[in-house]
Amino acid sequence: MNPSRSRLRTFRIFARPFSHQFQGFLFVLPCILLLVLVLGFPVATAVVNSFAPIWSEVKKFTLENYIKLLNDKLFWNSLKVTFIFVISTVLLHLGVGFIVALALNAEIKAKRFFRLIAILPWTVPDVICGLIWRFMYNPTLGIINAILMSAGVTTRYIEWLASPKLVLPSIIFADVWRGYPFVMIILLAGLQAIPREQYEAARVDGATTLQELIYITIPNLMRVILIALALDTIWQFRRFGLIYNMTLGGPGHTSEILSLYVYKHYFKYFNFEYASGMAVVMAVIMLIISYPYIRMIARKA
Amino acid sequence: MKKRSPYRLIPYLILVFVCLYNLIPFVWMFSTSIKTDKEAYKIPPTLFPQQPTLESYNQIIIWTSFPRYFMNSTIISLGTASLSTFIGSLAGYGFSRFNFRGRTTLIGIILATQMLPGVLLVGPYFKMLVKIGLYNTYPGLILAFTSITLPFSTWMLKGFIDTVPEELDQAAKVDGCSTLGTYFRIILPVITPGMVATMIFAFLLAWGDLLWVLVLTSGESMATVTLGLSRLVTQFRIIWPQLMAGSVIATLPPLILYMLLQNYLVKGLTAGAVKV
Repeated sequence: MNPSRSRLRTFRIFARPFSHQFQGFLFVLPCILLLVLVLGFPVATAVVNSFAPIWSEVKKFTLENYIKLLNDKLFWNSLKVTFIFVISTVLLHLGVGFIVALALNAEIKAKRFFRLIAILPWTVPDVICGLIWRFMYNPTLGIINAILMSAGVTTRYIEWLASPKLVLPSIIFADVWRGYPFVMIILLAGLQAIPREQYEAARVDGATTLQELIYITIPNLMRVILIALALDTIWQFRRFGLIYNMTLGGPGHTSEILSLYVYKHYFKYFNFEYASGMAVVMAVIMLIISYPYIRMIARKA
Repeated sequence: MKKRSPYRLIPYLILVFVCLYNLIPFVWMFSTSIKTDKEAYKIPPTLFPQQPTLESYNQIIIWTSFPRYFMNSTIISLGTASLSTFIGSLAGYGFSRFNFRGRTTLIGIILATQMLPGVLLVGPYFKMLVKIGLYNTYPGLILAFTSITLPFSTWMLKGFIDTVPEELDQAAKVDGCSTLGTYFRIILPVITPGMVATMIFAFLLAWGDLLWVLVLTSGESMATVTLGLSRLVTQFRIIWPQLMAGSVIATLPPLILYMLLQNYLVKGLTAGAVKV
């Protein structure tokens, strides 16, 4: 601490107009240095590697990884699976989260109790969430088929995670359990921030609950909804542990999301260069999707 | 006079469904963990165990390296939470109070780093750690997790510091407090709730991760609870009661943290999001 302080003092004497600005920069510096160390180097290495030939000692510039990518059916498959997974989970988190937030924002008893229960699943790590639901989905030993059978919905053991058709919806259902509470918390805070007077005025004018929802609640909540959507999309794109533990991408490749497919190329087949190329494409997709969000937020700051 | 319309029951109806959906997996996890192996493999399954037993907890604690995993998870998560919250609060202060050149760009870059997928980073990071001898060590893992949590911590804490009136800083400065002194004596005490929220958030992220420990550790010595459990589930024969007992133990720290600090966390998470 001392050297930086004396440096500050020196700076203050010799460059008075810049000193205040420079102090601010010093506060940010440790963060920047750490990010360069733990993010900058790996990203640079990955980008360089992605342009190197696979399994070769000779480092030269080539586009072969990216060309190979275009013809890799499994890559396109994983891209499709990822988009299905991200879009449906994000929309469901938002829908369920919104409804539950509205319910919690109504005049109800035991509000604190219900809020506690509503957030609970969010504390479970996604890896563990995957384990619990994998067992719940177990055809013969799991609780889900047991409930459905005793309710008379089905008479045969449904293979939730082993059927190519059911595997993604099943994973999505499990993910919604863990994921919607976070969106719900943000929306609830947004709801509570809406001025009461607006509702009172509407009530005086004889507005119905539905009209209140459409003309007051949703417009007021728009910013919060957009932020929740952006944050959630980013996180869902990176999801790894949940599917790793539920299906490892199977059956076949039907639930193989991009992060899992890249991981397999890296640490199962050891195609470092090819996997790097794929990861770079993934990063670019994420940056493009989130660019409006970053711009909006950085400008406001 | 209060309106007595049947619609007012709708929220309760929704919340009852929410309770069922949210709690059944917890009940199932816990009830399986106290079943005998025999009962867990009974068809059809029972929701509540007929002969509750702690045998699975006993086995997983005594016969596996689970206690070791638990300690590793704790050390790594605490380390990550402390490091990223401290550095994040410094940066948050810098971004909140100073308007230096390139500030907006830097904020943009820090936000953008959150978009980098873990699978892009782990490979090169793995090679880097091997080269500098930090592979399979606590510092290596803590640094790795900090890369995930730091951008978010910085952003959250900047939001908190923004809410502290700047007159406080100025009053301190008039009293002869240096910038660093203002940060330590004025800002830090005021944003303690924010620091707590940020720490829990970083803790939860590090605690729940699988990808990085999968790649950056080998063997038992540095494995975390999430990795240990994931290894158990990929074994040929899955012993569900033990696995669920482990899951219960792994879920407890985040759950307890959340219960104790619920208000801090909710405030912390929403302060930034709702305000922007």
